[in-house]
Amino acid sequence: MVDAVTATQVVMSVEAVEASQLGMKALAASIAIVGTGLASAWAELSIGSAAVGAVAENKDLFGSVLVLTIIPETIVIFGLVVGLLLIL
Amino acid sequence: MFRPEPMTHLLIVASRERMETVIRELYSHRVFHIRDYVEKEGEKMEGVSIGPPLGSASEVSAKLVRVRTMESTFGIHPGEITPATRKRVLELRETIDRDIAAVGNETDALMSRRASIEATMRDLEQQVRELAPFAGAPVDFDSYRGYETLAVYTGRIGRDVEIPVPHEKIFTPSPQGNFIALFVPLEHKAAVDPILQEARFVPIPVPKGAGLPEALLAENQGKLATLKEEMGQIDQRIAALKEQQAQFLATCDEYLKSDLEQAEAPLRFATTDQAFLVEGWVPVKEVERVKAGLSLATEGKALVTEVQEDPHHPVPAPVEYDNPVFARPTQLLMDTYARPRYDELDPTLLVAIIFPIFFGLILGDVGYGLILLAASLGLRKIIPAGEGQALLKVMRNGAIASIFFGLLFSEFFGFKLPWEPVLYSRHLSMGGEEAGHGPMVIELLVLSIWIGILHITLGRILGAINHGRHHGIRGAIPQLGWIASMWGLLILIWSIVAIPVMPDLTGAPVVVAGLTITGFVGLALLILGVVAIASESALELTEFPTIISHTMSYARIVAIGLSSVAIAVVINFVSIGMLIEPNIENFSVGSIFFILLGIVVFLAGHLLNTALGLVGGALQSLRLQYVEFFTKFYKGGGEKFNPFGTIRRFTED
Repeated sequence: MVDAVTATQVVMSVEAVEASQLGMKALAASIAIVGTGLASAWAELSIGSAAVGAVAENKDLFGSVLVLTIIPETIVIFGLVVGLLLIL
Repeated sequence: MFRPEPMTHLLIVASRERMETVIRELYSHRVFHIRDYVEKEGEKMEGVSIGPPLGSASEVSAKLVRVRTMESTFGIHPGEITPATRKRVLELRETIDRDIAAVGNETDALMSRRASIEATMRDLEQQVRELAPFAGAPVDFDSYRGYETLAVYTGRIGRDVEIPVPHEKIFTPSPQGNFIALFVPLEHKAAVDPILQEARFVPIPVPKGAGLPEALLAENQGKLATLKEEMGQIDQRIAALKEQQAQFLATCDEYLKSDLEQAEAPLRFATTDQAFLVEGWVPVKEVERVKAGLSLATEGKALVTEVQEDPHHPVPAPVEYDNPVFARPTQLLMDTYARPRYDELDPTLLVAIIFPIFFGLILGDVGYGLILLAASLGLRKIIPAGEGQALLKVMRNGAIASIFFGLLFSEFFGFKLPWEPVLYSRHLSMGGEEAGHGPMVIELLVLSIWIGILHITLGRILGAINHGRHHGIRGAIPQLGWIASMWGLLILIWSIVAIPVMPDLTGAPVVVAGLTITGFVGLALLILGVVAIASESALELTEFPTIISHTMSYARIVAIGLSSVAIAVVINFVSIGMLIEPNIENFSVGSIFFILLGIVVFLAGHLLNTALGLVGGALQSLRLQYVEFFTKFYKGGGEKFNPFGTIRRFTED
């Protein structure tokens, strides 16, 4: 009796399975973006603060410092690409 | 184009008495970049030293200091003043001393009067502050002083107190702090002190002077009002004087500055007792004009020689861009990174073409493009000439590219235009309402990788040219090796897996170990490339993963573009789909609020997305130039061509 109830509860319709898979994909995509976003932010945190210090010392460094600051941005872009590939 | 302005290395030698003539002549041409003579330890030549400034230098610099002081007093910045008329240098030279003295004396008189009023006002305000607590007590200040048997307390106190000994007390309650004046015979002082202390008594010394506090206060305030009025008048006169003399001061500034630069020029020359020598660069096209001018001015008594550079150790020449008008604003982006060196390719033109294309691919939306175009055209009237204007022109080019790609992508503020996207679609569907093709992410990503492959290959080709020019064909081999490895790797991948929008080479017959013929071609190319790279230095191979990471990095073009589209679609969905449309369909009085809210969300959202698109698109596009493209061939670090002379705005000969 108990087994029969569990069995009916476990069986899901095809739509429900699809929706669940979609949800899992969305979660996976969000994990990819959140993780890489945090990683980029963490990297840019230290580069950014050092960069502001360097520019305060010497304004000519602005160009090189800008480049250094946006280098870690690639991490979150990869996260974004993975996210897009997952959900679209 | 692709090369900086060609320069000729000139050496000018003449006798000391011709020095001033030569300086004036060079200054008037404004094409001669002086190479400063530096006295180095150990290399010093007998009898040669840095030249002394011309005799007038100290006098001119004193005048310039006077003018600059006045400018800073008035807050005048010559760069921000539009010249009304040009003054003739000859006239200016005759009257400048007298005029500067006249304006200076007037300014000094006004300023010193202002300073003395300010000081008096400060004193009076201080006195008012000291008097204020006593104002409530109608006691002459003389009555507080000169007792032998009485202790006098004056000051602030937390609350009124009961004094259990014979005394005289005046207590004035006030929100700023209660005032107390207390007279107690000296013998009771010991009994009173703890009572006062308990009530948080803070003593205030009795101000100097005699008379009733009220009267003194009124008198001081009257004086203050008069002074304030006078101060206002002086400020008005200073403002009028500024208005009147701004042009004159800017003119003097320019004239004296150019005079001083000339007077101090010998500090950059090498001189002996009899002669002097100056070294520098002139753009090739100007050489004849400079030579002719010098010959005329010195009656042929100056020796001008063109120095032939040692091909192995050339002295680096200063760099002046030589670009078509279209590419000139982009020079700003180059200078932000580093000015090209004299002996390398100047990629400004390439950046000027590729930067807007990348920007347009990222922010490919007709609506946003139009906003940015309108902004860049509108701001042209407000922003002063120079870097700001150059930036606006770069933004304008980006905006035009954005409109162009918006038409191709068929996008207008995230909506679809009446035609199908010509390239791949970037449209996202939201709320399940839109039918049709969703975004073709895979195709778009591969397209961006293609852009990366071509861009990087171009960078490597330029690198091969740069190296080849310096070290011959041997120098170019590693660069060619990089190209071979990248394309070898690509062919290898193509022959293993089929990727959309890329050649499918998997069809060829398998030879051995699962590899097809084309696969072996790719592998061979890859190995050849690696050998070529290692031929210069095996350490270079540590950079090998950049072949993949740099190429993948171009995926940002699509990733950022799609996120911009996503934000636009969300804004449209929230504002129109959720707020405006349902409320128009079931209209009631309350709907007006939601419709207005929808409009606000729409406007604010798209404004924010335009700003994000501008910053994101520009920075990411720039980064692809700086990091992925420039690292392949570009070094930079050239000295800016800084000709001896000045651009005259206020004066003329």
